[in-house]
Amino acid sequence: MFDVNAYLGPFAFRPLRHNTAEGLLRLMDRKGIERAAVSSAASITYRNAHAGNEELARQIRPHRDRLVLFGVLNPAYAGWREDLRRLAERHGARGLRLYPRWHHYRLTDAACLELAHEATALGLVISIPIRVEDRRQQSWLVDVADVDHNEIAELVRAVPKGRFLLVNGSGYAGSVLGRRDNGLPANYSVDICLLTVELGNELGRLLDVLGEDRLLFGTGMPFHYPDAALMKLELLEASEAVKEKIRRGNAARLLGP
Amino acid sequence: MSGPAFPRRDLLRAAGGLAASAAGAQSLRSYGVKVIDAHAHLHHRARPTWREDDEKLIEAADRLGIDQLCCSILPPERPTTLEGFRESNRWMAEALARFPGRVLGYVFVNPGYTREALEEVRRYVGDHGFIGIKIYNDYRADEPVLWPVVELAIELGVAILHHAGHARWLPQPQPRISDAGHLAVLARRYPEATIICAHIAGGGDWEWTIKALRAAPSVYLDLSGSVIDEGVVEMAVEELGADRLLFACDMSLTASVGRIRGAAIADADKRKILGENMQRILARRRA
Repeated sequence: MFDVNAYLGPFAFRPLRHNTAEGLLRLMDRKGIERAAVSSAASITYRNAHAGNEELARQIRPHRDRLVLFGVLNPAYAGWREDLRRLAERHGARGLRLYPRWHHYRLTDAACLELAHEATALGLVISIPIRVEDRRQQSWLVDVADVDHNEIAELVRAVPKGRFLLVNGSGYAGSVLGRRDNGLPANYSVDICLLTVELGNELGRLLDVLGEDRLLFGTGMPFHYPDAALMKLELLEASEAVKEKIRRGNAARLLGP
Repeated sequence: MSGPAFPRRDLLRAAGGLAASAAGAQSLRSYGVKVIDAHAHLHHRARPTWREDDEKLIEAADRLGIDQLCCSILPPERPTTLEGFRESNRWMAEALARFPGRVLGYVFVNPGYTREALEEVRRYVGDHGFIGIKIYNDYRADEPVLWPVVELAIELGVAILHHAGHARWLPQPQPRISDAGHLAVLARRYPEATIICAHIAGGGDWEWTIKALRAAPSVYLDLSGSVIDEGVVEMAVEELGADRLLFACDMSLTASVGRIRGAAIADADKRKILGENMQRILARRRA
């Protein structure tokens, strides 16, 4: 299995376990997860997000066969162009994660569009976590809304050659992103982490609308118990071939071997 | 949620298909205990697909290895009207006949209708075999209006499943939502009552809730909700003990089963949580 939604490092608002490279790998071994795309949880609240990327790169260096680096960049912060180049050239990043609500910009801001175009030119996947925590439990210090699906739609339309990966989201089936014939390029995929597969069956409905190539296994570990996503795969009513695409095939195609 | 957690999501909008399958079921059944979902809901009949959606819930429970579901039906309007809760309880009684042995009933009342609420509890616990009382957010748990209902619950030996949540902001549609602190106040007044604090994983700041319940040793905590934060079950076991925790889904099935499967706690504790604790609560019923 290839988990496209994983993290390492400390988070500002609660302790995380399994958040070192070795700890995460032990958890992955227990759950049968071979590879994971990881980014820095600290970068979500660092002023200079790239400092978290540097920490992460050092930590996963011995484990690059299993841990795939995603960098966190803030296009509203100084020096992102050089940070992007370093991520791609020095650290071998395969993708970026963007936190427009935490970092106070919009996906359609000129700087963000420029970042998306440049990252795409470098072959990087652009991942957008719809949320980090459930808003009801956020600290009194912050008030961070989920990323708006319409704003994402504007971004994917504006960067048609981009490859976008939406994680930690739900409600796509009722939004423009999950609507058939929505006029958007088929350049975005979603992870299954928070999709229902029993009551509501959003995962099944998205398979029907987006197709089997655009859904990927993601857990949100170590923020989340990975078992919830594992159960969704167990319960999903789909052929083994489709499940295999979700488990690893689609991620391997998107992120490389 | 008990409704679903707060702010109230329409978790009763179940749709989509489910067919019988053994997938996933073995993992809960392998614990060798009758698995009881202590917090579930059947669908209000304002929803055109209520009957099919009820059946889908039971089918999903089958697939996940959940043996019994303790359910209530909540009317959508707030504050809850007299006719609203009477109608819901009638439907709930009919559901017990539709799903014999699978569905257990909570009688739902607005405690503001004191006399009628007490009559309703006596009727459905006494005559229809309901196993507990469901309280939502019509009043806060520390308000005296709840006292007669709690005293009747003690007399009948049944639990009160109380909606709860704690955030730094008050959900606009729920000005009288209770949190674990309010439940602790109620429990201090009635230590012999069996009070269940609803959905730790759908009620905001779960660390706050667990810590607030440390000082309320008679209050149980249901582990339902859509939030799958790693560590919540372990912290609850560490701070409150497995004897006070109840497996529950509140309609978030894979999240809630996955939370238990993933928790790094002893299998003996999982057995308590999955069913043994709720069986002990059910055995207290005197009605």
